[in-house]
Order: sequence, then structure tokens, then C-alpha cells
Amino acid sequence: MSSSGLPILSLIVFTPLLGVLALLFVPGNNHRAIRWVALIAALASFAFSLVLLGYDRGGPEFQFVEDLPWIPAFGMRYTVGVDGLSVVLVLLTTLLSVVSVFYSWEPIRTRVKEYYISLLLLMVGMLGVFVALDLFLFYVFWEISLIPMYLIIGIWGGPRRVYATVKFVVYTLVGSLLMLVAILAVAIAHGNETGTFTFSYLALRDFGFADGLQALAFIAFFLAFAIKVPMWPFHTWLPDAHVEAPTAGSIILAGVLLKLGGYGFLRFSIPLLPDASASFAPIIIGMSVIAILYGALVAMVQPDLKKLVAYSSVSHMGFVTLGAFVFNEQGLQGAAFTMVSHGIVTGALFLLVGIIYEQTHDRQIAHMGGLNARLPGYAAIFGLFTFASIGLPGLSGFVGEFLVILGAFRFSGWAAAIAMLVVVASAVYMLWMFQRVFFTVPSDWMRRSWSRLRDMNRNEWIAVAPLIVLVVALGVYPGPVLDLFAAPIDRIVSAVDGAGLAGWPWGP
Amino acid sequence: MDYVNDLVTILPELILTGLLLVVITVDLFLPRDRKWILTPLTVAGLILAGAACIVVWDIDEVVYAGMYDVDPLSTFLKATTIVIGILSALFAPTYLAVRRIPLGEFNAILVAALIGMSVIASSADLVTLFIGLELMTMPSYLLTGLHKTDRYSNEGGLKYFLLGSFASAIFLFGTAWVYGLTGSTNIAEVAAALQGEMNGALLVAMGFLLVGGTFKVAAVPFHYWTPDAYQGAPTPITGFLSAGPKLGAFALLIRVFAEALAPLRADWLGIFLALTVLTMTMGNIVALTQVNVKRMLAYSSIAHTGYIMAGLAAFANAGDPDVAAQGIESVLFYLLGYGVMNIAAFAVVGMLQRDTRRYGGLNSFAGLASRAPWRAAAMAILMLSLTGIPPTVGFFAKLYVLLAAVNANLEWLAVVIVLNAALAAFYYLRVIVYMYMREPEANPAPIETSPFGSVALAVSVVGVLVLGLFPDPILTLLEESAASLF
Repeated sequence: MSSSGLPILSLIVFTPLLGVLALLFVPGNNHRAIRWVALIAALASFAFSLVLLGYDRGGPEFQFVEDLPWIPAFGMRYTVGVDGLSVVLVLLTTLLSVVSVFYSWEPIRTRVKEYYISLLLLMVGMLGVFVALDLFLFYVFWEISLIPMYLIIGIWGGPRRVYATVKFVVYTLVGSLLMLVAILAVAIAHGNETGTFTFSYLALRDFGFADGLQALAFIAFFLAFAIKVPMWPFHTWLPDAHVEAPTAGSIILAGVLLKLGGYGFLRFSIPLLPDASASFAPIIIGMSVIAILYGALVAMVQPDLKKLVAYSSVSHMGFVTLGAFVFNEQGLQGAAFTMVSHGIVTGALFLLVGIIYEQTHDRQIAHMGGLNARLPGYAAIFGLFTFASIGLPGLSGFVGEFLVILGAFRFSGWAAAIAMLVVVASAVYMLWMFQRVFFTVPSDWMRRSWSRLRDMNRNEWIAVAPLIVLVVALGVYPGPVLDLFAAPIDRIVSAVDGAGLAGWPWGP
Repeated sequence: MDYVNDLVTILPELILTGLLLVVITVDLFLPRDRKWILTPLTVAGLILAGAACIVVWDIDEVVYAGMYDVDPLSTFLKATTIVIGILSALFAPTYLAVRRIPLGEFNAILVAALIGMSVIASSADLVTLFIGLELMTMPSYLLTGLHKTDRYSNEGGLKYFLLGSFASAIFLFGTAWVYGLTGSTNIAEVAAALQGEMNGALLVAMGFLLVGGTFKVAAVPFHYWTPDAYQGAPTPITGFLSAGPKLGAFALLIRVFAEALAPLRADWLGIFLALTVLTMTMGNIVALTQVNVKRMLAYSSIAHTGYIMAGLAAFANAGDPDVAAQGIESVLFYLLGYGVMNIAAFAVVGMLQRDTRRYGGLNSFAGLASRAPWRAAAMAILMLSLTGIPPTVGFFAKLYVLLAAVNANLEWLAVVIVLNAALAAFYYLRVIVYMYMREPEANPAPIETSPFGSVALAVSVVGVLVLGLFPDPILTLLEESAASLF
């Protein structure tokens, strides 16, 4: 562990909270000031997070560490630190948060103050999850990220927002509360054995728990993370939440919140409970393959643009869990990279869907058509992200899914073959959607609002520009990000190797 | 000089008793438009009594011929009752004034009930315990029926009185059996006499005590009085009833089951666990179907009783004393946290009943966020705390119980608790849905804005957040408190 002089991680995590405190004193009707305060807070957090690029890959595993006693009676500490995996996810989070704050400028016109307070609180929770190195602290941030999203969907969402948001909260809560019991159980088991009661990630990771406890704890962690990812069959909250959420909510939901689940698997489930992870892996791989296939098939028949992207998320996140549980370097690299890429690509797609929805208040694919003629700039960008989502080489989506399939091949040819086929299927649903929206003859419905349509304005370009740069840059030159992932992923691989993965009939 | 020393040990009770007399006397001489002075007067007296708790904190001795046990456990409980008393006194005035309920009587009866709870907390003898119990419950009956012209209040008071005195009698009968079997009513002597085997007569005694005790905490299946009494009582008083007498009843359960009957804990654990699970699950399921927030909170208070009982179950199942102490600590922490958040939540319901024809329906919460943003935010935080979402005291209280349960090898109970908490999220979040995601009614009822109430609400919400984030100072006190039991 190393520590730096400035508490940079605390600055990243709590700058949005300062923004919230500042917002409390801004009058509710001064929308301009509110937006600027929120944007400055998000930008400041993003600026601080750029410092993390100074992460030294030759240095200790966790850097920028801060470690303070919090609730000494129970051994809970405020311990934060980042490794390569967290660095990338923190950067993704701050960037997408800035994009969301910025994009919400126009569309959010009611209860502006509450909206930005929720968004900034959400940032605190998400960033905290990625940097926490104390299991209790992690849990607290995990839950904190829940409520703001509940409000964002429930207050600024679509017609069935209340149903969607309650479903979202209750699903997530069931999983996370069971995880809390598991966290307590592992901390107590460790405490009884060693005499020191602690929630420290490093102490618990190096402990090695008994098989029975591992299995039960794994199931609890698994439920929490699988619901968040979401894995089939726990995905049913996702399409509802996405369809009803406001655009910025969807960007954050797809871009970051789903990654909390994937991150949980990589950071907690596998390293803490390697034996149980190895035993449950075949089931999880099976579920992942089903998710990949199922998400793609259901996406094909969606009439609603947003729902289509939502189901494609289920499919893409299936790649993440597939890669995570084949336990080889390629698979895990692919899983981590797919998280980042999916965050950018799907975030951008939701943003683009939001742009057209703001103008027509409709997302039915059947109602569109021929938009290419009217909105050429929009069509070009939409096309770019469509191809990125399919996994066209040269764009970021390709790298992650390719690596996952590579890793899966070493595990099972069948899983890899199905995943490969689904990449083709994703081309079917994405291209077919693109064709129906942009190329065919405009529908009658579209003609009626034809004159009201406008191409992307300056603000929308600014919002989407960083995502365009990233999707191309990561696609062409993924090296730096993969290098950052290398050390944490080696650790995971060796953790599971030690857990008798070699005993697998199909093992490496 | 034992006499003086003994008086010092009961300083908080003495101050409370003095306060009771002062309130009654001053009330006689105040003109009607000056009655409000009673509130700051009562609060000042309660703060003084709270300060006395700090003075007696280090005392750990049994005084008055083995009748009265002043230890950190009892002092912590007394301090908690005083917090409950202060909040109740601050929230009530406007609600009572609008309904022409006399403030002086309310304050005096409230203080009397606080004395009763303090006596229960300090009981070293089953006789003292019963006196304390009656001293607590009699004022509670009166408070429930205090709104004389309201038939719901009358009904609630009568039901509470009839069933409550029945339960008191059952409890007293159990005490008599214990005396017959052990030859003593002194708690320490009873515990010493019970080291032997379980037998039929003991089972009867234990059964009576358990029924009486669980009735007072409103555990299922002895909870039937709760919803009617809580709904009928004037709303700020309901807040008090849900926290104060519950605290007193848990103090009673600790003294009887964790002290007198502690040697038999393997025998009462089974039935206790069954009641615990039944209580939280029933409370939550019925609360789900309520459309009246006051009644919903009444049922949810039954669910919280279940969570608190889980702490006692952890005590009973614990292998070593440290874990057992943790069970008791979790009960104490939960009582404090629950007291603050629940009284404040009921107070917000009361604030929306400025129009006396309102009975606290969900509709009165519709669109509250745009009508009264600060109050809505406060209520939202309270609802999240009751659900158990960090960083609130409700979360930490639940965590404490879970920790005790898992530590005592009751992992399955911990799972039952968290599944219940997820169930409870449905109805607590429904209040937030109404406040933030619905438009206000066409002609919404006016909202009460009294300075006392606003201050108390702000203090409660800040307390809920601060205790949730930095519970450490309290935890140290709790360790000393629970240690005094062993």
C-alpha cells in the first residue's frame, strides 16, 4: 500500500457532495445557477479523477490509499484505494456523470434542484463503491447509490415510472441485504479465527474461508451482483427501469450502475471466495450464455428503441459474467474491458435515443424511418455507436467481446460458439433497427413531425464528443487500459488457480 | 451517610418527580394564552434530568434494600426515555392546541410515564418492576384517550386499558408463581435459585411472564391492541406510545428474561424465536396493506418489535458472554434509534393533520415535496431510516441486530430479518412515492408549522444521520451498559 499526501480519492468521491451542500443554498427557481453548480461539482470530480492516471503500474497493488478509523468498536474503517481496475471505472464514472449532468441541461425542466441533488448523490455512491477497500464501507456506498436512482426514475421518468422504480429498488434491496448478512458472516468468521474483527478487504481476501461458509456467502454475494448486472433470470427490472428512466438516468444506469455488479464479481466474489467461485462457475457460465442469447433474441423483436438497447445490455453484460467466470487472463481482461466499452457505447446510445425522444416524444421504431435525410449528423453518430455495439473491429466493443470469446474457447468450445453466434445476432437486431429508423421511407407519423425535427445542437455534440473519441481510441489502441487491468487480473487468476481450478476436467 | 448517597443514585428519577409536581403546579397558575410556557419548562426539566444521568453514569450498585439497581444499563435506558420525552414534549403542543387538548395534563402525564419507565429500567426486584410497569402503563392509557371528544381516541384508550390491565395481571400472576417456586422476588436471588432443571411449574411461571411481557412490547400474537390504540391516540402521542412504553417493556424483558430467567434461556429461546419471526413478518405483511400512514406506522412498529426481539434471541443463543452482551447492546441501540426516528415520523403525520378532520391518510402526503420541501425531505430520510438504508441510524440499528444474530449462530434469523426489511421497503417507500412522485390534492390540507415542532424535527433528522454515520460514542456507552448485566 502506498499513500499520497493529498486525499485525492476522498476529493473525487466527496466533491459531488459539496455540490449537493452548495445546491441546498441555491434558490429552487434559479435553474441556471443550479445547473452550473452541479456541472462544476461534476467537472471538479472528473478533474480530480484525472490525477489517477498517475497510477504507477510498477508500484504497489493499491495506491492513493487513505485509511482512517471510522467505527473502531466494530473494526470498520474508512479505507479507500485504487488498483488498475478501479482507476478505469472511476474515470468512466466521472466522465459519464459529467456527460449526464451536461446533457440534462435542456430536458430536465421540473424540480431541477432535486434532480441535480439526486444525480450528484448518485455519483458519491458509485464512486465510493469503486474505491472502497473496507467491505462495510463498500456496502454503505452500494446502498447510497440506490436511493438517488430510485428518485431519478420515480420523479423524472415516463408514465409507468413508479412501478418501474419500486421494482428496481426492491429487486436490488433483496440482493444487497442478503449480501450484508454475508459480509457480516465472513467478517465474523475471520474475527473468530484471528481475534481481530475487521472488514478490511485485504485482510479478508488473504484469509481463506471454510468451504461451507464460502458457498453460502457466495450465493448471497452472487444474488446481489447478479441482480445488479443483471444476469438472466434476474434481469426483469432492467427493461422497465430503462424505459421509464429519463435519458440521463439511463446513461448512468447502463453506463455505471450495471458495472457495479460486474465490479463486485471481480473485486469481491472471486478473490474473497475463490473455492466457491470455482464450484459455481459452470452454473454461472451457463446462465451467462443464456443471457447473451436471450438478450439478443428478445432485443430483435422490441418495438421500442430504448427497450431494444436495454435488452442488448442484458446480452452484453452476459459477456462480462462469461468472461469473469472462465478464470483465464483473456476472459477476465475481456470482461473488464467489455464493462468499460459497454458503459461508453450504451451510454451513448441512450443519449442518442434521448435526443430524438426529446423532439418527438416517441420511441417506437415503427414510427420512425428515413431520418437519415433529415438528420444526417445524428444518423452518422448513431451509426458509429451501432457498429460499436455490434463489435466492429476498430471500435471499442470489438476488443472486449473478442477477448471474452477467446477466453471462453479455452473453457468450452460450445460456450464460445454460442457467444460468437450471438455477435452475429447482435448485428441483426442493431442493423435492422438502424435501417428501420434511418433509411426506410418515413412513416406517416414521422412526416407529421418532420418539420419540427432538428439535427443535433451544439450542446448535444459537446455531450457526445468525448464518447466518440473514446469509442474510437479504445477500439484502435486498447493497450493502456488492458495494461492497467493486467495486474488485478493476474491476481484473480492466481487466486482461483490456488483454489483447485486445475481439478476441472476442462481446466487450463 | 448512606441515605444521602442513595438519594444521589436516583437523581434522574428525583428530578423527574420534581418536574411532575412543578408542571402540575405551574399549570394551575398560567392563563390560557401562556400555557405554551409549559413546553419549554418541561423540556428544561427533562434536560436537567438528562444531565443527572451523566452524573450517575459511573454508579453501579443496588440500593434501597436490594429493590433498586442503578447501573449503566438502567442509566442508558433512562437517558433514552428522556430523549423520547423531550421529542414528544416538543412535537405535541400545536397538535394538542388545535384540538383543545390541555397541554398541562399532557406534559404531567408524559413525565409520569417517564418515571415509570425509569423505575422498570432500574428494577432489582420483581415487585419494583411491577410498580414501574403500572406507573408507565397507567399514564399511557390516559394519553391514548386524551382527546376526549374524539371517539377513535376513546376507543383506543379503552381497548388499551382493558387489554393492558389484563396483561399486567397475567404478568403479576407469573411473578407470584416465580415467588412460590424460588421463595424470592429479588431478581438476583431468583436467578440464583433457578440454576437447576426445568420443570412444569417453572414452565407455567415462564409462560405467564412471557405472555405479559410480549403483550407489553406488542409482539404477535399479543399485538391486537396496538393498531387501534396507536391510530386512536393523538398523533404525537402515538409517536410517544410507539417508542416510550415499548422501551419500558423491553427493559422489563431484559430484567426478567435476560437477568432473572437467564439461567433458563435455553428453555425460553425456542418460543421466543418463534414469536420474533412471527412478529416481524406479520407486522410487515399487514403494514403493506394499509392506506393510512398512521396505521401503517403502527403495524410497522410491530415489525420493529420483532427486530428488537431478535437481539434478545441472540443473547439467549450466544455461546460466550461477549456475544450475549452484543445481543443486549443491539437491543439498547435499536430502542434509541427507533425512538428518535419513529417519534419524528409520527410527528410529521401529525403536522399534516392541522385540519382536524384528517386522519393521516396516504393522500395527505401527495405532492408534499412541492408544498413543504423541507418537511418532505425530513420525512423521506425518516422513511429510509425506518427501512434501514445507510447512512441512517435505522440502518445501523438493524446492522447491530444482524451482527449479534450472526455472531450467535442465528444466521437464518439474520436472513429472515433482511428479507423482512426488503418487504418493509415497499410500504415505507410508498410514502416517498406519494410525497415526490404525485401531484398535490386539489385542495390540500394546511400544514402545521410550529417553532417547537420544526426544531425537534430538524434535531431528530440530524440525529438520525449523525448516529447512522458516527455511532461510535454511543457504542462505547453501550458496551459499559451491557457489561453491567453480566
